[in-house]
Amino acid sequence: MSLTKELKKEMSALPKGVFCPEHFFAKGYFSSAHSTPYERKADGIVSLFCDPEPFIYKNDLIVGSIYPLILPISDEERQSTRAKVSAVFTGRKFHTNFDHYSPDYETVLSIGIDGLLERISDSEKDHSDDADALAFLNSARMTLTALQKRILAHCDLARALSSAEGYDKERLSFIEKNCRALLNGAPKSFAEALQLVWFIHTCFLFERRYAMALGRMDQYLYPFYKKDLEDGRLTKDGAVELLENLYVKICESRFFKGDDDVVNICIGGVDSDGACAVNELSYLIVTAVKNVNMPGPNLSARITPDTPDSFLDACLISIGTGLGYPALMNDSVNMAALRRFGYDEKDIRNYSMVGCIENFITGMQPPWSDGRFDTPRYLEYLLFDGEGYDESRKGIRTAPLSEITSMELFMENLEEQISFGVESYVQDFNEKNIILDPENYSSPFLSCFCKDCIGRGRDINMGGSRYPSVHGAALMGVGTMSDSLAAIEKVVFNDKEATLEELAAALKANFEGYEPLREKLLAAPKYGNNDQFVDKYAVWFTSFLSGQFDRYRTYDGGGFYTAMAANTSNIDAGKKIGATPDGRLAKAPLSDAASPTYGRDTKGMTSALLSLSKPDYTRCACGTVVNQKYSPSMFTDGKREKLLQLIKVYFSKGGQELQINATSSDILRDAMKHPENYGSLVVRVSGFSALYVTLDRDVQEDILRRTQYE
Amino acid sequence: MAGINISNIQHFSVGDGDGIRTTVFMKGCNLRCPWCHNPENLTAAPVTLHYKATGRSETLGRSVGLDELLSELLEDRDFYSSSGGGVTFSGGEAMLYAKELLPLVRALRDEGVSVLIDTAGCVPYSQFEKLNPFVSGYLFDLKTADPKKYREIGGDLELVCENLRRLREEGIRLCIRIPLIPDFNCDGESVEAICRALSDIGIDTVELLPFHRLGSAKYEAMGLDYAYKKREPLTREELIAIEGRYKKFFKTKIEK
Repeated sequence: MSLTKELKKEMSALPKGVFCPEHFFAKGYFSSAHSTPYERKADGIVSLFCDPEPFIYKNDLIVGSIYPLILPISDEERQSTRAKVSAVFTGRKFHTNFDHYSPDYETVLSIGIDGLLERISDSEKDHSDDADALAFLNSARMTLTALQKRILAHCDLARALSSAEGYDKERLSFIEKNCRALLNGAPKSFAEALQLVWFIHTCFLFERRYAMALGRMDQYLYPFYKKDLEDGRLTKDGAVELLENLYVKICESRFFKGDDDVVNICIGGVDSDGACAVNELSYLIVTAVKNVNMPGPNLSARITPDTPDSFLDACLISIGTGLGYPALMNDSVNMAALRRFGYDEKDIRNYSMVGCIENFITGMQPPWSDGRFDTPRYLEYLLFDGEGYDESRKGIRTAPLSEITSMELFMENLEEQISFGVESYVQDFNEKNIILDPENYSSPFLSCFCKDCIGRGRDINMGGSRYPSVHGAALMGVGTMSDSLAAIEKVVFNDKEATLEELAAALKANFEGYEPLREKLLAAPKYGNNDQFVDKYAVWFTSFLSGQFDRYRTYDGGGFYTAMAANTSNIDAGKKIGATPDGRLAKAPLSDAASPTYGRDTKGMTSALLSLSKPDYTRCACGTVVNQKYSPSMFTDGKREKLLQLIKVYFSKGGQELQINATSSDILRDAMKHPENYGSLVVRVSGFSALYVTLDRDVQEDILRRTQYE
Repeated sequence: MAGINISNIQHFSVGDGDGIRTTVFMKGCNLRCPWCHNPENLTAAPVTLHYKATGRSETLGRSVGLDELLSELLEDRDFYSSSGGGVTFSGGEAMLYAKELLPLVRALRDEGVSVLIDTAGCVPYSQFEKLNPFVSGYLFDLKTADPKKYREIGGDLELVCENLRRLREEGIRLCIRIPLIPDFNCDGESVEAICRALSDIGIDTVELLPFHRLGSAKYEAMGLDYAYKKREPLTREELIAIEGRYKKFFKTKIEK
């Protein structure tokens, strides 16, 4: 059995408990002798990093585990410990700029922890009369020193375990050597570099951060890999084994916390000069993720016009195993979208993804925040005099329906509704976004891995990062909206089969007694069939909404990105939306992410992609998700080449992203009936992979509805 | 241009020739193969399918103007050119409509789009002569090399072989496709006969299409009995054995 399999087995055999970092944090925090919030916080982090026992798996090559934070306590005990520190610890919400971050690993890999500490000392000299900066810098130093202590504890444990049963001496001495090296300057080998990254990442997990990206691993690790290979210290297989050993540990969240962490790993793309950056390591990372075959390592491949076909093919082979990784990102579109926000070109070229698909200027901006904008709501307000189907929701009143006598007038009123909606959304977000006092919620450790924080002597959320915070608004329901508008144009204004008032009455009745009208609405052109009559509304949707969000700024002057990606929020959002003019019944899911409504893109894959390539995704700096499902036969030699060309053409036409599942509907249906047989069936749900059998029935049904192309 | 009768246009076809293709299914067929998976295309007239399970009905068959068809087929041209694909006319028996298809095939050729015709070839050679100058080749089905069995399904082996021979002489690209039908052409003797007939003509490559019964729902929806409803697909072992026999004669590809 491979080391990877052994490690998975070892992990799953450990006794479970409750993940409770608060227990450790509280100790240092409440016994702190410091007076500034920064340093008190850092005292908490120091005990959080130092107090949990070090831990080494028998099958470890790279060490660092959250297992020591899994305590044999009850959930109530955890809750009460949590409550004690909630005013200062974590604050994980999507509006608090807390996680979903892609750290600057490049710097620490080049200068080591010592190097960062030196920079802190230098900055202290520059800020000698700035008490606030000094407190922050000291807090940063305290956390880095704590990290060193944690590493040292693992050195000692590796040595202590050398005669313990079940441990391999050679591996332990490898571990000890790698850890020791990190206490003495910058890492020099591939293994040391990986080890450092993993220690840092583990510490982020200790802080209860989630969806912390590993970033461009094929870029920042490549110099180490290349040198090791040249020096004969490493083989390709050896590199894959090390990567696998690290990737398996991403799955600790599943084993011990029962949820998946979404750890984005970005490969491919371009280098700082804009040239194709795919290297040997890019391929090895695909192989390692494929071999680990678990959701968690959320692999994203940046595809450029220069990306070699062999690399895209390697990606497709991995996807075809049923894993669904990597997600394929169109680099040209993403970079054009980021350019709109005025970042330096070199920084744009070095972007990576956080969480599912969100584009991120690596290590240079505060952690991500995002929210959902369910657009069809504003159609309801227009049609029902400001009232929502969900009675608790109200919009503004626009023109009475009797006065809306043309599609142009309809769109004018809709734009007025949406414009109001965006304004309220932004206002609401900005209020929440600053509700947490950044001083208490300071992130001294995280700030060490964000460019400029140390130099400026400022926390990442207090103006330390090079660029301001951005917010991503996920626009929901492009399919539902486009289909609805096309149906209104055709049935109401062109064919005059019903008035707007009749349509509104039919929607209110959920089409009961209005079946013939519903048939006509359903027969109108649908998004995803390369039909301009309806596709023009998807184009409008993207540009109008993004334009509305362009008008606003976050509290520190950053932009509002838009996305068309909502994981499974389209299902929940749909439950609060009544019947829509596209023929959708009340409470049914909204269309998913940037995709057409499931089952309505009947013309075929090429037509769906031609429709999908029409909106201007350079307006969606956050990213979009288009989910596609293919039968496994599509990934066989010969056919896979056709899929590859399909993707290339889609990207050349301005498509932004594709997430591909290789699972037949039959398999999915059977898995619903016999979940016990499908424990390891992985599916992607709008942006991340999950075990199919663990999903809600609703979501399973949703995945099934995705049109399957053969 | 006049209209032609089709049942369906399938974009992103990956099983009917090179590259990414759009397949146009023509209605009407001069054979009556009991295993047929497209029963809706046996007749030229529209047919309505009622699916009991869902209560849904659909009518398949419409006359499409050639201009309209051409413009839909050209929508995917970037996919064709990047993948070396194009348009495939299938059916039914597309060659029954050689005359009607000619202007369309010509227009596609003029637009630089490759055209393939999927045919069982039971038509006079004059039909092929009309299209030969403008197509990239034929996906040519051979069902059996037994003249009697060919007659049973309404065909004429001699005519088929003659057409094949002449197409080869003309240097037209041929992709020979053999449906593997249990109890019809899969036994050793049948395979041997097919191999010999094709070798005599000088064919060196064949593609094998294993029987499936995915069309059975359509029979039911049309209120027809399907002779192959209960017929299990060939097993992997059976397929390997059959493939092995073909491999002695030809470069052999089997559809997966």
